[in-house]
Amino acid sequence: MSEDNLQDIGDQSDEPQTGLVSKIRANLERIRINLVDSAEDAPGLIKSIVLTTAKLLTWTFWKPVVWALFSVILAVITSAVIMEISGYNSYVAFSALINGALRQFDRVLFFATPLILTGLSVAFVFKSGLFNIGAEGQLYMGSMAAAILGYIIPLPYGVHPLVCLATGALAGALWGFLPGLLKAYRGAHEVVTTMMLSYTAILFTQWLAAGPLKEPGEYQWNAQTTRILETAELPTIWGNYLHAGFLVAIVCVFVVAFILNRTVMGYEMRAVGLNETAAETAGINPKKNMALSLAIGGGLAGLAGASEVQGNLHRFYNSWSPGLGFDGITVAVLGNNNPFGCFLAAIFFGFLRAGGNAMHQQAHVPIEMVSVMQGLVVLFVAAPRLIQWIADQSLDYGKWFSVEKARPIQPIVFALSMAIALYGAYFSFSLLGETQLGLTFIGISAAISILGIVAFVLLLARNWRGLIVSLIVSMCWFALAVIGMGSGVDIGFMILVGLVQAVLSVLSLLLVKGGGQSKGGGA
Amino acid sequence: MESSMKRSLRRDVVMPVVLLAIITILLKLTYDAVDDVETFYSLTGWLLEATLQSATPLILAALGGMFSEKSGVVNIGLEGMMLIGAFAAVAATYFLYDPWIGLLAAVLAGGVLAAVHAIICVKMKGNHIVSGTGIILFAAGFTTLMLEVIWDRKGISEQVTALPTVSMPFLRDIPIIGVAFDNLSPIVYLTFVLVIVSWYVMYRTPFGLRLRAAGEDPSTLDAAGISVEKYRFFGVVISGLLAGLGGAYISIGFGLPAFGKQMTAGRGFIALAALIFGNWSPLGLLIAGLFFGFLDTLQYFVGFVPAWGWVQSYSQFLQMMPFVLVVLALAGIRKSVPPKAIAVPYEKEAKA
Repeated sequence: MSEDNLQDIGDQSDEPQTGLVSKIRANLERIRINLVDSAEDAPGLIKSIVLTTAKLLTWTFWKPVVWALFSVILAVITSAVIMEISGYNSYVAFSALINGALRQFDRVLFFATPLILTGLSVAFVFKSGLFNIGAEGQLYMGSMAAAILGYIIPLPYGVHPLVCLATGALAGALWGFLPGLLKAYRGAHEVVTTMMLSYTAILFTQWLAAGPLKEPGEYQWNAQTTRILETAELPTIWGNYLHAGFLVAIVCVFVVAFILNRTVMGYEMRAVGLNETAAETAGINPKKNMALSLAIGGGLAGLAGASEVQGNLHRFYNSWSPGLGFDGITVAVLGNNNPFGCFLAAIFFGFLRAGGNAMHQQAHVPIEMVSVMQGLVVLFVAAPRLIQWIADQSLDYGKWFSVEKARPIQPIVFALSMAIALYGAYFSFSLLGETQLGLTFIGISAAISILGIVAFVLLLARNWRGLIVSLIVSMCWFALAVIGMGSGVDIGFMILVGLVQAVLSVLSLLLVKGGGQSKGGGA
Repeated sequence: MESSMKRSLRRDVVMPVVLLAIITILLKLTYDAVDDVETFYSLTGWLLEATLQSATPLILAALGGMFSEKSGVVNIGLEGMMLIGAFAAVAATYFLYDPWIGLLAAVLAGGVLAAVHAIICVKMKGNHIVSGTGIILFAAGFTTLMLEVIWDRKGISEQVTALPTVSMPFLRDIPIIGVAFDNLSPIVYLTFVLVIVSWYVMYRTPFGLRLRAAGEDPSTLDAAGISVEKYRFFGVVISGLLAGLGGAYISIGFGLPAFGKQMTAGRGFIALAALIFGNWSPLGLLIAGLFFGFLDTLQYFVGFVPAWGWVQSYSQFLQMMPFVLVVLALAGIRKSVPPKAIAVPYEKEAKA
């Protein structure tokens, strides 16, 4: 709990204290304290419910959620721009995606199942301060073990699936334990070893599936094992796809949350993750905890592989996983390494996957758009300060308006320059396709795109240099119009954009310089 | 200090000697197996050529990784930067009909993607591994998406003009070398030049000293009045430029000059392995890269020697050698010394 308190103090100091926001926060805080106080003498169950509710009222709880949502929104905007540039209708695409996913919600959960488990794997290991980027290999080991046990030994219904799942988890755990040992006793960095062992596992299972364990019979070119027995299959529980692996995943969410928050082992792991030296001084063995944590993480990834084989594939195919282990990293990152956060993040990515098919069919957007979106989400989550910066600058900008209420012309001109810079960048991006006009044309359009974004960022930071950049961009537009003369591109529109931009920049430059209150140097 | 230098010297000598011994034994075995001088020469020549070809992208990307990691930023996004380089090379060549412009575009594309990584890791103090994962995912998705947008095809793009190769007529009569160096891409030669240049820049110029200081002891660099952020930014961007070049070599440098879905096929990770196995030094990663390229070639090579056909069903073990070797190296056969402040975002104390 001490970590939460520390974060709380840190937050309050760097939070911008705007009137309304601080009032709401103060009220919420009062309600929370009242709740906690009133629950003091209540019986156990009610107390815990009230305390959980009280936790929901703190900013510490909501901050990662808001951050994640912000990143998702930014990623959606960016991918909409990419779609528009590629010549697709982003509105149609997104509505197809959402409709398609909602209509087949069983598929959403089906795609989410392995992601929940691999996400938990990465998140659990992260809690003890390590990075498991080899979930892919542990997943392969787990799926191979489950596939072998699925067809080699006949066992009764009910027992067989559990045995297979357990073996899969064990195989994954062993494959995670190895880098854990190397980290604890040889100091080998786990990022490197898990990554390298991941490829080793993929190649090793590939050899098994293509060599000694290959399904005998006519399909000589397929590297796959024999189909698992019916007794080992996980039953389908909803629709055509969703199998009982989803229930396993949900159980794991609660188990992981319980281990992390309510057991000595979890406490020790979190302590090691927060500060290894301090934990050691407090009598916790960091080596044991590191190795154990990677083993449990590996077990979760192995479970993901086993449940996929038993519920979905029914045998081991060579390189069957479309990067589920890697996606586990994205899930854990978006879920802020919290078990329940991972669950929601996995559902979100499953939603994208399930909707991706519909998007492909109705808007003809290639399904890869989904992984572009996924990558963008991760990039935006990776840079929390970017979001903080954007939020701060936007708040600042809003304040500027309220300060200059009497003479709002300056902020308005600034805002308009920003808008035109952004639109110009977008417009010039779409001109990059006009390759028949030669290298100079493309070079200038590329320059406009980049400079337009630079101008936008500078203007958002209220740096007057942005106006100069904007002016340069408008000159580029005129140059572009001259080059493009007589070749069918819309010159008039280019000149218009350039003219508007030039006028706006000059106007605001005059205002900034003439007003004598230069905002030079930025925020 | 003295003893550590001695140890490092021994390490730098031992590895090449061991590798040379392995290769000599292998060549002797080949000779015994084919039992024909002409065939042996052409086989060995092919082996040398193919080794150079498959080692080149590894060395380039590993060299890039060195610049980034020496400056203190982990770059697991090398794979993504190579992929986007490979794509940009083909796309630019397709539209502008000149493979040299394609090469330039590849280098720039790698640099731009690396700049994103740098902004996130250096400026925004984000997590290096998370950002690298994002780079890989984004590059994989984006290139496949654009493959379909530009060429309206699924697996592989249309063919474009390849980079011209350098032929060496005066070498043609020398047995093995004549075959090997007959038509290699100029990028192969450029790679060796770049390794030497990188060594010089890294260890003999103020820029290199500052770059290494940013990764070893950033607060000292900062105290000397030099911006840590700037040097880390440079390091990451250089790594993207080199990885982009490596990607261009994969797509338009050899083989079919076209872009295929996921065509880097994990070479970025092997490059990372070469970097670690080569102990973060230009010479080390050159040798490691050549060795990993050799291993990569070996699985096809055994197909040409009839007596060794059986090895092919174990080719996966040859492929996993780089990864296993790195794990073994990290487990303590050889001591690896990464830069001290790697993956630690540098925060100025005064900022708080």
